[in-house]
Amino acid sequence: MNEKKMIYLHPTPVRIWHWLNALGIITLCVSGAQIRYPEYLNIFGSYRGAVLLHDVAGIVVALSFSLWFFYYSFGPHTLARIYVPTAEDLKHGVLRQAFYYFFLYFFGHPNPHHPTPDNKFNPMQKSAYLAIMFVLVPLVSLSGILLMNVSPLRELVLAAGGLKLLVGLHFLLACSLTAFLFTHVYLTTLGKTPTAHITPMWTGWEEDEEHGTTEQPSGQRI
Amino acid sequence: MKTALKQTIHVSALMLFLIGWATAARGAGAQWGGYSYGGTVGKSGNCLSCHGVAANVGRRNFIDPVRYDHTTHAKIGCPACHDALDGTHPDGSQGKGKADCRYCHDDISAEYAASSHGKNASCGGCHDPHRVNTPSEISAGDTNKMCAKCHDSAGVAANHTKWLPRADLHMEMLPCVTCHTGSRNYVINLYIIKRQEGDRHHTFDLATHDELQKLAGSADILSLIDVNGDNYVSIDELRNFNRNPAYRGLRLKGMMTPEQASHSFQILDNRRNCTFCHASGPGTMQTSFIALPEKNGAFRRVAVERGAVLDALNGTPDFYMTGKTRNATLDKIGLLIVAGGMVMPVGHGFLRLLSRNIRNQKGKENRHE
Repeated sequence: MNEKKMIYLHPTPVRIWHWLNALGIITLCVSGAQIRYPEYLNIFGSYRGAVLLHDVAGIVVALSFSLWFFYYSFGPHTLARIYVPTAEDLKHGVLRQAFYYFFLYFFGHPNPHHPTPDNKFNPMQKSAYLAIMFVLVPLVSLSGILLMNVSPLRELVLAAGGLKLLVGLHFLLACSLTAFLFTHVYLTTLGKTPTAHITPMWTGWEEDEEHGTTEQPSGQRI
Repeated sequence: MKTALKQTIHVSALMLFLIGWATAARGAGAQWGGYSYGGTVGKSGNCLSCHGVAANVGRRNFIDPVRYDHTTHAKIGCPACHDALDGTHPDGSQGKGKADCRYCHDDISAEYAASSHGKNASCGGCHDPHRVNTPSEISAGDTNKMCAKCHDSAGVAANHTKWLPRADLHMEMLPCVTCHTGSRNYVINLYIIKRQEGDRHHTFDLATHDELQKLAGSADILSLIDVNGDNYVSIDELRNFNRNPAYRGLRLKGMMTPEQASHSFQILDNRRNCTFCHASGPGTMQTSFIALPEKNGAFRRVAVERGAVLDALNGTPDFYMTGKTRNATLDKIGLLIVAGGMVMPVGHGFLRLLSRNIRNQKGKENRHE
C-alpha cells in the first residue's frame, strides 16, 4: 500500500509573499483596468479610489517582492537552485514536461517531476518563473514606481525614454502578468485533485504518493 | 429772410464745430495746451515717446512698446482708457487717469464680479493691460504665474495634495483656470521646454524666442518642427522633432488648456471628480497646437495633426493623461497578450474535459497496482 509522503515545500515567508503578491497583483490588474478604461469600468466607485488602490497595491507587491528576494537570497540561499533552470532542464526537462502537459496528461500518466524543497519547480515552471520574477515583476514595479512619482523622478522618467514609453511598457507588462495569471491558476488545478497544488501554498505541506518519511526543507526527516 | 438763413447757417456751423470738438476731445485725445496724446484715434506714439523709455518716466510708469504694441489695447490707443488726464499732462495733471475696464469688458467684469474671486482682486491684479494677450496667445505657464502672485505655491500644493492624487503633476501640467473656472473646449498646447546647457540636472524651462531663434538660424522658429513649411505640424514632423539628436536638450511639454477662458473663478465640484477629465475617452483629446514664443511676449499657435497626443511613443513622449490619451494599437496588443494567456486554460481545459474518462480509468489502474 502506498504511504502518503508529506513534503514541506513552501516556508512561511514564501507563503506570506505568495498570497500578498496574489492579492496585490489581482488588485493591480482590476484597478489598472479601471484606470486605463474609466469610461467602461467603474469597479471601485471612483477613479480616485482606483488610483489610490492601485498605488497601495503596487507598493504591497514591490515590498512582498523584496521579502521574497531577500528571503531566498539570505535565508536558505536556494534562489538560483529553485528558479534558474539547469542545462539539463533546458536540454531535456522543458520538452519532457511539455510533452507531459500536452500529451501524456490526457492519458492519465503521472507527472514526471517530483518536487522537493530544493527543486520544487518543474523545468517549465522554472523557466516561466525566471522570466516572471526576474524580468516582468521588477520591470513592472520599477515602471510603476516611476509613474507614481513622475514629477520628483522626472530625470529618471526622461532617461527611461519618456512618459509615453513608460506607460506603454507598464501596460504591456501588466497584460503579460494578467496572461500569466490565467495560465498559472489553471496549471495549479492539474494536480491529483484540483486543489492538490493550491492547498500546499496555504499550509506549506504537499502530499506525494511515495514510500518514505516526511521531509523538511533542510533535509531533516520527521 | 436772408438774414434768418444766414443766422441758421452760422448756428449750425457753430453747433457742428462744437460737436466735432467734443467728440474729438473725448474719443481721440485731442490736443490740449500744447501736449498731444496722438493726432488720431488709436495712436499712442506721443505717449510712448516718454512712457516707452524707462529713463524718462521711471520703472513704474514704463510701458514696454514691443509688448504693448501687440496688445489689442494698442489698437484703441492710450487716451481711450486714460481719458481722465487733461491737457496739462505731464506738467499739470499727473496720475494714471484711471481706466475702467468695464467700458469695454462689461460682460467679463460682471461674470468676474459674481465669482468667488471677484472680491479679492481687481482686473489689474491679474492682467497688465499694457502687456495683455488674447487667451490663445498666452502660455498656460504664464497664466499660472498670475495666480502665483497671490497664491503661494507651497500652500496650493499642500491643499491639493490632501485630496488629489499626483497633485504635483496636475499643477505642473494644467493652468489653474482649467479647473477653477467654468471654461470650455479644452485643447492640448505643446510648449518647447529647454534644459540649460551643461546643467544635466537643471529643471526644464520654457524656451525663449531668442533661444529658439538661435537654433533656427535665419529661418522662422517654426521650421524647427514644421520642416515642410506648410504652417501645420504633422505627427511625422512631431516624431522627427522628438527623435532629432540635434534637439536633445529640447522637449515638448503638453498642457491641457481651455480654448474659451471664463472669468467665473470658483471651486467646481465636478473637477474634484477625476472622471471629468480622465473618463471622456481618447476621442475627445485630439486637438493640439504647438505654441511658440514670439519676440513680443505672445505665443503663436500652429495646428497639429489630429490625434498627435494619442500616438504611442514619439508624438508627445512626455504627455499622457491616464484614460484619455491611450493608444488604440497598444490596447489591441494588450488584448492579444491577455487572450494568449487564456489559450492554455481554454484549450487544455477542453481536452482535459474530453479525456476525463481515460484519465479516471488510468487512475484506477494505478491505485490497484
